[in-house]
Amino acid sequence: MVSKTEETQLNRLENQVDNGGGGAWEYLCLVRKLKVRRSEKVLKYGLSILNDLKKRSSLGSEEWTLYEQVAIAAMDCQSLDVAKDCIRLLRKAFPESKRVGRLEAMLLEAKGSWAEAEKAYSSFLEENPLDQVIHKRRVAMAKAQGNISGAIEWLNKYLEIFMADHDAWRELAEIYVSLQMYKQAVFCYEELILSQPTVPLHHLAYADVLYTLGGLENLQTAKKYYASVIDLTGGKNTRALFGINLCTSAIGQLAKGRNKEDKESLELQSLAATALEKDYKQRAPEKLSLLTTALKSLKVSS
Amino acid sequence: MAMSLGFVVGILGVVILSHAAYSTVQYRGLLKIMEEEFPGPPLIVVIELLLGLVFCMWAALTVPGTFLSIHPHSEENRIVSLPDNLDFMIFNHRARVLPVEMDLKLKH
Repeated sequence: MVSKTEETQLNRLENQVDNGGGGAWEYLCLVRKLKVRRSEKVLKYGLSILNDLKKRSSLGSEEWTLYEQVAIAAMDCQSLDVAKDCIRLLRKAFPESKRVGRLEAMLLEAKGSWAEAEKAYSSFLEENPLDQVIHKRRVAMAKAQGNISGAIEWLNKYLEIFMADHDAWRELAEIYVSLQMYKQAVFCYEELILSQPTVPLHHLAYADVLYTLGGLENLQTAKKYYASVIDLTGGKNTRALFGINLCTSAIGQLAKGRNKEDKESLELQSLAATALEKDYKQRAPEKLSLLTTALKSLKVSS
Repeated sequence: MAMSLGFVVGILGVVILSHAAYSTVQYRGLLKIMEEEFPGPPLIVVIELLLGLVFCMWAALTVPGTFLSIHPHSEENRIVSLPDNLDFMIFNHRARVLPVEMDLKLKH
């Protein structure tokens, strides 16, 4: 989870390194800790450290972690020669290592030789059938080849064994959403919210999928979850504020004849609208007129 | 500077408390000799105890420095984005066909 302080720190380090100041090693450590995907920059600055003999020796035993990080970034940027060299050096240093074997199989994946990579992964799994990372790489390979139903099947089998892996649940939910299988995606997001109830982004994604499904009950639940996102983020999430407005107007359209909870929902909608206008006035004042017309049309139709 | 003052005040508070404890024990010993009951420590010792309490609490709040926020929606702790799922990363994206024009090589 990337918090606001960590994000500002990352951006600051990134600017500093881009403009020629030092701090490349701290930037790389922060990228590794936060697990963000900044492959170009990692490749450029990682190689600048690795090619400089003095900087490399000052790292000590941490240079191997850097080799691994640069190898993966090189594969992502399609610089396969760099990746091959890094992996060759790692293999020389750790001849019996499974971690290096995994990197070699990833290199095969990046090159596009799917069959050989599949063979390598199956042999790893024969030795150790409970290796989580290899299972996930197999799913990723199926997804990369376009075999989405195969990826879903592998991922479901993986989740039957490792039910606590929330990254995998998130991946499955995103695959279902891409295939428009919203009911299954709703189940996956419910699992995520159960295991990590304080992360507002899961609530937000859940509310989005419920709103897409439609139907009166789903819209009411979606409104509740948008409200919980606003609660958890202290009102700073613009998407949730928009979500409340849209849900209220959609509910109003569906339930035209019934006047049950009119006052409460109208109050919530007007509060959300005021918060949105304040936010826009502060951050994007030239778009404020667009916002007010959009909100007015929402209110009129409900 | 503030930290050393906090330390000094803290140590002073602990010394005051231990002095109050010692004088209470002595007072009780004296009452035992005079064979009277022990209703509680004398008033001065109670004042000394309160003073020691105030000093120790002030030192405990000043010495550690700024406290970190525990609200999940405070400006520092607010979760901004989820980590990109690097375990499921695929390399079959459009950078494959549009490679970055960098002449980077590992020089050894």
